[in-house]
Amino acid sequence: MTTLAAPPASALRSGVVYWWHSYRMMLRWEMVSLRMVLVITVIVQILTGAGFVLALGLFFGTVPPRAALFVSTGVLVITLITIGLVLGPQLVAMQKAEKTYDFLWSLPVPRTTAALAWVTTNLILGLPGMAVALGVALLRYDLDLHLSWAVIPAVLLTLFTGTMVGYALAHALGNPMLVAAITQMLIFVIIGFSPINFPADQLPGWLATLHRWLPLAPMADIVRAGLTEGVVEGVARSYLVLGTWAVASVGISAAVLGRRG
Amino acid sequence: MPEERRDWSLRVRDLVKTFKEVRANDGITLRVEPGEVYGLLGPNGAGKSTLVKQVIGLLAPDSGTITLGPYDLVADPDAARQLCSYLPQAQMPIASFRARQAIDITGMIRGGDRDTVTRRRDELIEALDIGEWRDTLGAKLSGGVRRLVGFAMVTACPGRVMVLDEPTNDVDPLRRRLLWQEVRRLGDAGVAVLLVTHNVMEAERAVDRLAVIDRGRLLAEGTPSSLKAEDRGRLRLQVMLGPRVETPALPPFVQLHTRVGHNLMTVVAEAEAAHAIRWAQELMGLGLAEEYALGATTLEDVYIRLTGDVEAAGREAG
Ligand SMILES: Nc1ncnc2c1ncn2[C@@H]1O[C@H](COP(=O)(O)OP(=O)(O)OP(=O)(O)O)[C@@H](O)[C@H]1O
Ligand SMILES: [Mg+2]
Repeated sequence: MTTLAAPPASALRSGVVYWWHSYRMMLRWEMVSLRMVLVITVIVQILTGAGFVLALGLFFGTVPPRAALFVSTGVLVITLITIGLVLGPQLVAMQKAEKTYDFLWSLPVPRTTAALAWVTTNLILGLPGMAVALGVALLRYDLDLHLSWAVIPAVLLTLFTGTMVGYALAHALGNPMLVAAITQMLIFVIIGFSPINFPADQLPGWLATLHRWLPLAPMADIVRAGLTEGVVEGVARSYLVLGTWAVASVGISAAVLGRRG
Repeated sequence: MPEERRDWSLRVRDLVKTFKEVRANDGITLRVEPGEVYGLLGPNGAGKSTLVKQVIGLLAPDSGTITLGPYDLVADPDAARQLCSYLPQAQMPIASFRARQAIDITGMIRGGDRDTVTRRRDELIEALDIGEWRDTLGAKLSGGVRRLVGFAMVTACPGRVMVLDEPTNDVDPLRRRLLWQEVRRLGDAGVAVLLVTHNVMEAERAVDRLAVIDRGRLLAEGTPSSLKAEDRGRLRLQVMLGPRVETPALPPFVQLHTRVGHNLMTVVAEAEAAHAIRWAQELMGLGLAEEYALGATTLEDVYIRLTGDVEAAGREAG
C-alpha cells in the first residue's frame, strides 16, 4: 500500500493543460457512457437521413429538381441537430431522475470542457448520418451541387448551436415530463413546420416571419449555401441570427449551471 | 506559508439551508481535521446529504460559511470540487463502463496521472475484494459491488476532503469491513473524511468523532466514548418477545425502553443487573419471551436516546 503515502494535492489546477486534460477525459466519459446507444444512434441517424431522401422519391415519383435539392440539403441539418436538441435533453432528464446528475457535476473539471465534450460527441454521432444522406442523395438524384469551403463553418455552427440550445434547455428544466413534451414538439416542428426541407414561402406568412428569428431556417440556409450556388440569399443575416442564438444558448447554459440550488 | 504547516481543517459554521418550508440544515457548526474520520449520523431526512452537498459545492447555503484551509468553498465551488471527492448517496452512472475503466477514468478526471491511478486501482480492487468483477460492465454488477466500485472511483485520486454519503449501502458484512479499513487508510494518509452513515454499530469502530443530526440541527458531537459517557453505569437488556405478545408491564428499574417488532430493548442501571435477569427469566418462564441478552450500552443506545429513532434498533434486530 504505497500509492496513498503522499498527502493529497492541495494546489488548485488551472490553465491550458488542465483544461485540455479535462476535455479529453470528459470526451472519453461521454463516449463510454453512450457506448450502448452509440451504434444504434448512428444507424438511426443514417436511416433517417437516407430515408428522408428516398421517401421524397416515393412521394413524388418524378421529383422536381428544386425539391430534391432542398430536401437533400435540408436533411443534413436534421441529422446534425436532432441528437443535441432531442437526445441530449432526454439524457440529462434521465440523469436527474436517476439522481446521477449530482455525481457528474461534482467532478472537478471546468464546465466548458463538459459542454464541449458533449458538442464533440454530437459531431462524432452526427457526421456519419450526414455523409450517408448526402451520398444517397447524390446517387438517387441528379443534384446540382457546388461544394464550397463555407460548408465547414456552416456545419460546425449549426451543430454547435443546435447542441447548445438543447444543452441550455436540458439544464434549465427540472421536470422530465416537460422535457419529454418539449423535445417531442421540437421534432415535430423541425420536420414538419420549419423551412428546412422546403423554402420558407411555402409556409403561412406569420410562420415564415417567425422563422426568420428562430435558428432553424438560418441553419438550413447556411448549410445549403455551402453546398449550392445561387439558391440561397442573405447568408450574412442567417449567420448573424444563428450566431446570436449560439451566444445566447452558451450564456443561458453558463447561467443555469452556475446557479446552485 | 509552507504547505505542511497550513491548517487544512474543514470548518462549517452556522450553516442554514432551507427548501421552501423545510429547514434542512438549521445552524450547523462542525470541524473536521485532516486525518480524521468524522461520522454524520441521523434519521432519514435529518439533513445529512444536504449538508455534504453544500461542502462539495452542489448546493449553496442560505447563510453560514464553509472553509477548507485558505479556501472559501461557498464562494468558490470550483475549489470545492477540486479539493473534495464525493461519493453520492445515489448509484453511480456507470452502466456502460467496465469496473476497472470507471475507476481509471474518474481517477484521471480527478487529476491523477495514469500510472498512479492504475496502481491505486489495482490496490483498491484487491483491498475491497472485487477482482472477480474488474472487467464486468456496470449494468451487470450487483448493487453492493457497484457501490464498492463507486467508492474505488472517488478514492482512486482522493481530495483533501473525502465526502462519503452512505458508502456501505448494499455491501455485504465482510466487504463492509474491508471498506471501513480503506476509509481508515484514507484518514491515515491525511484526508479529512466526512462520512454519512446509518450503521451506528460500525460507525462506532470506524470513526474518530461523530455528530448526531436531527431535523437540521446538531444534537451531540464527540468521540464515540465521550458520547457514551452519560450511559456509563447502565446496561442494555434486550428481550425477544414471542409472536403476538403484548409488551409486558415494565418493572420500575427499567429506565428506557423501545420496542421494534418482537424486540424489546430496555436500559437498566448496572446495580439492577440481577433483578433485570430475574425479570427476563420470569418472562421466559411465562412463555412471553423467547430469549434475552444483557450487555453494555452501545453507541446505538445513545443514538436512540438522542433521536428517538427506533429504526436503527430494528435494523439490528432484523
Ligand atoms: N432538492 C430538494 N428539494 C426540496 N427538499 C429537499 C431537497 N433535498 C432535500 N430536501 C429535504 O430536506 C430534508 C433533508 O434531506 P436530506 O436528503 O439532507 O436528508 P438525509 O439526512 O440525507 O436523509 P437520508 O438518511 O434519508 O438520506 C428532507 O426533509 C428533504 O425532504
Ligand atoms: Mg441522505
